[in-house]
Amino acid sequence: MSSRRSRSRQSGGSRITEDQITDLVSKLQRLVPEIRNTRSDKVSASKVLQETCNYIRSLHREVDDLSERLSELLASPDTDSDQAAIIRSLLM
Amino acid sequence: MTASRREIITSSSSPPLRTRFALRFLKNLMKIKKSTPLGHSSSLPSSSSLEIRRRTQLIKLAAYSSMARAVGSRRVWSRALILKLSAGKRIGHRSSISLSARSSLRCLGMKRKRSKTVTKRFAAKKRQLEGPCPGVVELQRLVPGGESMDLCGLLEETAHFVQCLETQVRVMRSIADQLP
Repeated sequence: MSSRRSRSRQSGGSRITEDQITDLVSKLQRLVPEIRNTRSDKVSASKVLQETCNYIRSLHREVDDLSERLSELLASPDTDSDQAAIIRSLLM
Repeated sequence: MTASRREIITSSSSPPLRTRFALRFLKNLMKIKKSTPLGHSSSLPSSSSLEIRRRTQLIKLAAYSSMARAVGSRRVWSRALILKLSAGKRIGHRSSISLSARSSLRCLGMKRKRSKTVTKRFAAKKRQLEGPCPGVVELQRLVPGGESMDLCGLLEETAHFVQCLETQVRVMRSIADQLP
């Protein structure tokens, strides 16, 4: 596994070190709400990957639901002034 | 409030991702709205379930493509996503829109099918990464362009991808809350 890879002193950039992977895994852990609060030494890397996959899938589902909601909203006629107000409120 | 607005217009750096995405997405939404056939009189809303489902697919495509374009070519996943989405559009030019939409969205890991050439070409890389943990393969399927990345790059791309997806959801939700 990655434990076989030796820690390289040469900063070639192409050698992947254990530390780099651990850092990246903990960065992912901070992003995923499910495991954000558990201590990093209690969460294994594979669990982080698994939860990340689940989180990405749930985000896709949310996009689906929101698209459907937007589609139903677009069905009704809208005035242009509403749209300008939305843009303004999003930018400020 | 006006200060931040001035900042967006006059700052030399480009506006934040959520603004770039929001602008593109809103433009696409208005395009979709104009192109769908509304009833001639306001009393007949185009609310047939087929219409709604078609529009949902279009909106979903617009959301992902707006996000990928807002990120630009800086990231492997956005480049891969732009390529896959435009390829799907080219296929769908002759056939129905829903068919192209489904083929484009398949590349986001929503359906489990994968083309044979892709599997063959990246089988070697896959084997390399399958060793550490099986979750890596699943992640590669979900992140666009993930098949060709080593573990390090994959984790980085995943982090950025997740952040952009969250932004996308947040912007879409605020638009949906504001529209009615």
